[in-house]
Amino acid sequence: MSSSPSELLPAGADVSFNKIGEAMARGSCQDSGATPMRALVATVVAVGPIDRLGAAAEALQSLGDAGTVRGILISEGDNPAPPARVAGNTVALHGLKPSFFNNAVAALRLSSLPTLVWWRGGRPDTLDGLADLADRVVLDDSRPEPIWSRAVTLFEDSAFSDLRWARLTQWRALMAHFFDIPEVLAAAADFSRLSIAASDPMSARLFAAWLRSSIQFRDGFTMDMADGSEGTPIDEIRLEDPRTELVQKLVIRFAAHRTCLETEVSVRGHRSASRLVSLGDQTLTGLITEELRIRARDAAFERALIHLVSDK
Amino acid sequence: MIFGASGDLTRRKLLPAVYRLSRRGRLPAQFAVIGIARSQMDDEAFRTQFRESLREFAGPEAAGDEIAESLASRMYYVAGETDDPALHQRLQARLTDIDGAEGVLYYLAIPPTVYSTVIEQLGASGLAEAPARGWRRIIVEKPFGTDLDSARALNRLAHQHFDEDQVYRIDHYLGKETVQNLLVFRFGNGMFEPVWNRRYIDHVQITAAETVGVEHRAAYYEGAGALRDMVQNHLMQVLSLVAMEPPIAFTAESVRDRKMDALLAVQPLTSNGDGKTSGGSHVVRAQYRAGWVSGAEVPGYRAEKGVNAASGTETYAAVRVNLDNWRWAGVPFYLRTGKRLPKRTTEISIQFRRPPLEIFRRASQVSVAPNLLVVNVQPDEGISLRFETKLPGTRMQIAPVMMNFRYGTTFGGEVPEAYETLLLDAMLGDATLFARHDFVETSWALIGPVLDAWRAQPGDIPTYEAGEWGPPEADEMMAQDGRRWRSL
Repeated sequence: MSSSPSELLPAGADVSFNKIGEAMARGSCQDSGATPMRALVATVVAVGPIDRLGAAAEALQSLGDAGTVRGILISEGDNPAPPARVAGNTVALHGLKPSFFNNAVAALRLSSLPTLVWWRGGRPDTLDGLADLADRVVLDDSRPEPIWSRAVTLFEDSAFSDLRWARLTQWRALMAHFFDIPEVLAAAADFSRLSIAASDPMSARLFAAWLRSSIQFRDGFTMDMADGSEGTPIDEIRLEDPRTELVQKLVIRFAAHRTCLETEVSVRGHRSASRLVSLGDQTLTGLITEELRIRARDAAFERALIHLVSDK
Repeated sequence: MIFGASGDLTRRKLLPAVYRLSRRGRLPAQFAVIGIARSQMDDEAFRTQFRESLREFAGPEAAGDEIAESLASRMYYVAGETDDPALHQRLQARLTDIDGAEGVLYYLAIPPTVYSTVIEQLGASGLAEAPARGWRRIIVEKPFGTDLDSARALNRLAHQHFDEDQVYRIDHYLGKETVQNLLVFRFGNGMFEPVWNRRYIDHVQITAAETVGVEHRAAYYEGAGALRDMVQNHLMQVLSLVAMEPPIAFTAESVRDRKMDALLAVQPLTSNGDGKTSGGSHVVRAQYRAGWVSGAEVPGYRAEKGVNAASGTETYAAVRVNLDNWRWAGVPFYLRTGKRLPKRTTEISIQFRRPPLEIFRRASQVSVAPNLLVVNVQPDEGISLRFETKLPGTRMQIAPVMMNFRYGTTFGGEVPEAYETLLLDAMLGDATLFARHDFVETSWALIGPVLDAWRAQPGDIPTYEAGEWGPPEADEMMAQDGRRWRSL
């Protein structure tokens, strides 16, 4: 857990704001000694409390095949002129007044190339100015409800996603694949109970909101939530029709070593054996790398979040 | 001969430029500088000022070197009032003393209100007339007039005493390496000119952004504003270089003729007075509020020293320019300039049309970004091209990348300052990079109606926070056309 910019960027140097560009250019030249210097392809702005920026700093500095990015780490405070610390292509501004976040980003982002804002927490009203400057905003707040409420008001102007959403990609894909089976599709309206075992209730709610914004369930649809095990946001998702004698169910859960998901289908006229699918790279670096590759608005996410916010 | 020898421009730009030209071996052995100002000073004091100017603005190593000392020994000073005929007699005598009668360049680094006095006195004293094998030229700093009438009057006065080929109206933007390189880029390469037209180009954005506020120029700026200070001269010059047809030769008249053609093709600009975009207005104006720039809180324009607390002067202007000619019909040029913006940058961006068929839409589920050619004028002079590329990997994913050319990294060394280039050109008699009288008058004629409309409605002006990219009204102007200002 980091508590100061020097811990965020231990190999960096403190510079004045006006010298950040110069320091980055100098740093890039020095870094290029061993390996060919790579061009920058995007700006990633990580915003949040200082104790949540350490992991972001590590992720930005280890981005690999997505290309080299300019990283801007900003933590909230009340300082109008905080010290800046530069290491390579990354700069940290510690304790900046939130009303100046967008000014700092406007001055530091790369011209002509995409800007991704990675929101790790903070005052929701700060998001408006940042979203205005970003090509894409990726939410990643430990207590996301206030920022989700804010984000839905900004969908018209900016593309949004959420790392919880990204972590659920395979879960969503498997659930969607169930409905490629004609018998499951035919029984879709019969499912009336969603049960999710989750250690992160917000991930569970997001998944449920996606499902309910995608499929028209009958009245009386219920959702149960049970505790999951630490380390993964969701352990198991079960969609059922408990009213029939032969319980119809769609189940997705972790397989033995928790790196793959397995599925189970049981509906009238169809039963299928377990199917194993890799969960993919769930590290922060892996997830942000994937987000950097996406340029389109995510309509499914927007629908899900609008549903979640209006349903609370 | 520098009129205004004790002033800021002389100390910051002119004397360091003279030194650098000398260091590059571009000045003749008999070169000398005569400084003229009201301050009482002798030659030695002026030489001291020269050394201090070098120390501050050309680097500490310059101040005492051999070249600087050699130059200093050829620096002279004459004090006096510009409307005093005796001053000009003393100048004539000093010219004779130093045997510098062959070629004389007068530089008006003085307030514009004194231009006419100096020009009249130079004419009346015979200093405008060259000897049989010599020359006399005059450089006039901006602003050249404050509107069409005053520009015409100044041109008439200049032409009473000097021929047009003796008058050099300086616009330091034209001396910048990248601006000159626009001509080479367009007309020295075969591959760009064929796509430099309405068929391939969607629109052009020209941005001149400053992080500084009004600083010590409040007295001037209050009466000028961004439209007069930047758009009428610098941005119109840059626009004409981007939009001009190919000249038949790289000569001053041929280049300036084609620039004039481009300017004459500009549709009249209109404004509805309040600086907003309703009613088909082409121009947005705004003024900066308090905010945060370059890592520090800054006051709003009206709280700056020397500024009227109820000032209606615009510190930001955005203009949509349409040209009526075959090359550019339907291709808007968007110009914007402002103080207290997030970055100091001047650039021209040419945005090309998207490909006619988006075959990657299904694979990447997104429209490809349009190609972009960016000419960076300052601070990092160079040219960049943005294009789409496939990301490495098994999936068909595409992303924009930049191909960059930078003067600094490609050629190393230092790029000549604009004033060096322009001073030398004026001494050599090359007026290609200077504004001609008809260009100045036409650009004033273009912005005149806008200034009139603003003057008629001086009330509330839109504002923007210092450190942001201008007011929402400027974004609305772009949105009306289905476009956005590009991210800088």
